[in-house]
Amino acid sequence: MKRQIPLIIVLTLGIFFFIQFFVPSQVSTNIYQITLQWTIVISAFAIVLAVGSLFNHHMLKIKRRKPHWWNSIVTLAALVVMALLGILGRWRGLEKLGDLYHTLFLYVQAPMDSAMFAILAFYMASAAYRAFRARSQEAALLLISGFIVMLGVIPFGSMIWSRIPDIAEWILMVPNMAAKRGILFGVGLGMTATSLKIILGIERSWLGGGGK
Amino acid sequence: MKILENLTKINRRYIFLLVALAVIFPLVIPMKLPTIPGKYTIKLYDFIDQIPPQSQPILIAADYSPSMMPELQPMLEAVIRHCFAKGIRIVVLTLDPNGAVLSETALQKIAPEYGAVNGRDYAFLGFKPGSSIVMMSIGENFRQAFPTDFYGTPLDSLPMMNGIRNYADVPLVLSIAGSAITQGWINYAHTRYHANVGAGCTAVSTADYYPFLQAGQLVGLLNGMKGASEYEYLNKKNGYSSAAPVATKGMNAVSIVHLLLMLFIILGNIGYLVTRHNQSKK
Repeated sequence: MKRQIPLIIVLTLGIFFFIQFFVPSQVSTNIYQITLQWTIVISAFAIVLAVGSLFNHHMLKIKRRKPHWWNSIVTLAALVVMALLGILGRWRGLEKLGDLYHTLFLYVQAPMDSAMFAILAFYMASAAYRAFRARSQEAALLLISGFIVMLGVIPFGSMIWSRIPDIAEWILMVPNMAAKRGILFGVGLGMTATSLKIILGIERSWLGGGGK
Repeated sequence: MKILENLTKINRRYIFLLVALAVIFPLVIPMKLPTIPGKYTIKLYDFIDQIPPQSQPILIAADYSPSMMPELQPMLEAVIRHCFAKGIRIVVLTLDPNGAVLSETALQKIAPEYGAVNGRDYAFLGFKPGSSIVMMSIGENFRQAFPTDFYGTPLDSLPMMNGIRNYADVPLVLSIAGSAITQGWINYAHTRYHANVGAGCTAVSTADYYPFLQAGQLVGLLNGMKGASEYEYLNKKNGYSSAAPVATKGMNAVSIVHLLLMLFIILGNIGYLVTRHNQSKK
């Protein structure tokens, strides 16, 4: 029953909402609207699960004194402090806590997050220097087109030759797009096939147990 | 020849140092590189520009976190400045938990510059989890996903939300995102509910949106820091903003880093080709 009930729910609702899309009657629209509200509520529980899972993971690390366990204390402290400031700061009379939340977010979290992303530029420069080699005809072609696109998106491209941005756009709009469309079609068909397999109960890995 | 062969062995610390200098110098010393707005930036700009003042509001989804902030925050700010200067009302929401503070900060910074008032000229709905479901809910009614705004005021109490029910009442949905969430707005807001969708994305994900541009599913696209700097340029040119052009400054640094990157690739390839030539001789 533990597996059959979820399968029945998915089969029934999957077929119902497929038909509902093509039958815009008042009854079906009302059911659709109620379901959307329910789904938003269920989505919110994903955050509760995520916080619970994060908490368990780090508590275990602290309890077992795993390497760098003190980092887990910082993570949990940050989680609790930010959550409390965020929640309490919305109450009347406690606006100062909300301001503190804003300050911590903008001057601690935002710079740290941005710095992590910015470090990518350094690794990309180093990796491009090491790996972007004209080892074959195909690699040389990729190298040249990459060069043109890079030049085309910066002002120096048009300063060297006014047509470079146009050529860069052609590369993005024609050869790149042909490949991209193929991939998107593949993804779309894959999604449709997987959805059908889930609705019909052929694909059951979402129930847990790795599809056994 | 030994020198040329050594070009493949430049220590990565020197590369890091040069990249750092290439970023810092253009930010400290002003450069006057030309800004030439791209086709898709102009399309989006013109689309927004043609919306009559005080008509139905446009919906801006600021779906990004601080890691994408350097590219996307100037974009959001430029669009908000354009709208406030033209008297176009905006509804801002986010489907990224980190996006709420970023978009609220932008609104609070820019609204006083133009005398824009919350509830009359703009509405801030905040964050709601369940991205695709929220997009579909808005297709039925804004109030289904957001019964109140971020500050707890019921949407019906906000004067600018009078008569604004769903996508049919907004001339444009602008998704500024650093992830594939924009494709959700195309799939649900455009395909299912026939809303006009525009996008702003990070430079690395631009190529993902060209198929949608060509198919007419996007009215325009802002491409990373470049798109943001072009929007700032158009705002300034039309007299809508006198604010410091943050993205234009950033774009100077990006341009120098691009040149440096190309130089390293050329050096690496010269070294590689010379080494290969020498090895084949032996």
